[in-house]
Amino acid sequence: MTDVALPHAEEQGPPLPIEGVIKGEVLRMYQEVAQHPDAEFHFYHGRPAAEMFGYEPEWLDRAPAGAVASFAGVGNPHLRSRLQAGEVVLDLGSGAGLDSIIAAWQVGPPGRVHGVDLNSEMRAKAEAHAREAGLANVDFLDGRMEEIPLPDGAIDVVISNGVINLSFRKRRVIRELFRVLGPGGRISIADIVSAKQLSQSIVNDPKLWAS
Amino acid sequence: MFALLEEAGFKRVRSTIVPGFAFRKESTRDAAESYGVKAALFTARKEGAP
Repeated sequence: MTDVALPHAEEQGPPLPIEGVIKGEVLRMYQEVAQHPDAEFHFYHGRPAAEMFGYEPEWLDRAPAGAVASFAGVGNPHLRSRLQAGEVVLDLGSGAGLDSIIAAWQVGPPGRVHGVDLNSEMRAKAEAHAREAGLANVDFLDGRMEEIPLPDGAIDVVISNGVINLSFRKRRVIRELFRVLGPGGRISIADIVSAKQLSQSIVNDPKLWAS
Repeated sequence: MFALLEEAGFKRVRSTIVPGFAFRKESTRDAAESYGVKAALFTARKEGAP
C-alpha cells in the first residue's frame, strides 16, 4: 500500500534484497484471499467491496460466486474503460478473474482478454471461473507486471485494479503498459496512491505492502 | 502515478478519487489517513490512430 517509486537509476538495476521479501509477503497475502475468501483482511474484499465501488449488481449475480468472493480491487476500472466489441484487453494482476470476466463479456467473442498474474493459485482460480462462466475469449498468463509476457502493440485497452502499487518498479511497469498498447490504446487503472512520501520504515515493511 | 504516466508518453492523463475506498482495519485506516493514502482511477491514452 505505497506509492513509492524507486529512483530512476535503481529501477534499472538488479532486484534489491527487500524486493524478494516483499514479493513473498504479497504473494502470501493474495494466496490467503484465494484460499480463504471468507477470512478478514486489512482491506475490504468480495461482493461488499465490489458493490462499494459501483460494480453493476447484475455482473455480480452473473459472475461465478468464487470470482466475486475473492475480488480484492480498490476501485472500478470498468467505469472508464469504455470497452467495445472486438477489443483486446490486458487485465494486469487479474487475481481470481472477476475483472477479466466482466471485460470478456463486454468485448464479446470477437475480442479477447489476457489476464496476467504471478500468483499461480489465483491464475488457477481465474481459469476455473472463466470456464464456469462459459467464456472462451479469456486466458490467464503467468507473468510479472514489470515484464508483461505480451508483444509490443498487442493490446487495445489495459485495465488493472489495485496492483501497480505492489511493485517497487512502478516506472518500469508503466513503460510496459505503454509498450504493449497499440496506437490509440488506452488505460483504465484503479490503484492506491499516497499524497506524502512514506517513511522508510513503512517502505521496508513487507506486511504493509501486502495490506 | 500521474507523473509516471506522462513520463512514459501517455497523453490525456486523468485521475479521479475512488469514493468509498477505505481500509477495513482501523489501525491501517488511521495510518493511511495520516499519509493521505487514497484510491484513484487513472485513465490515459497512447497517441495514434487505432
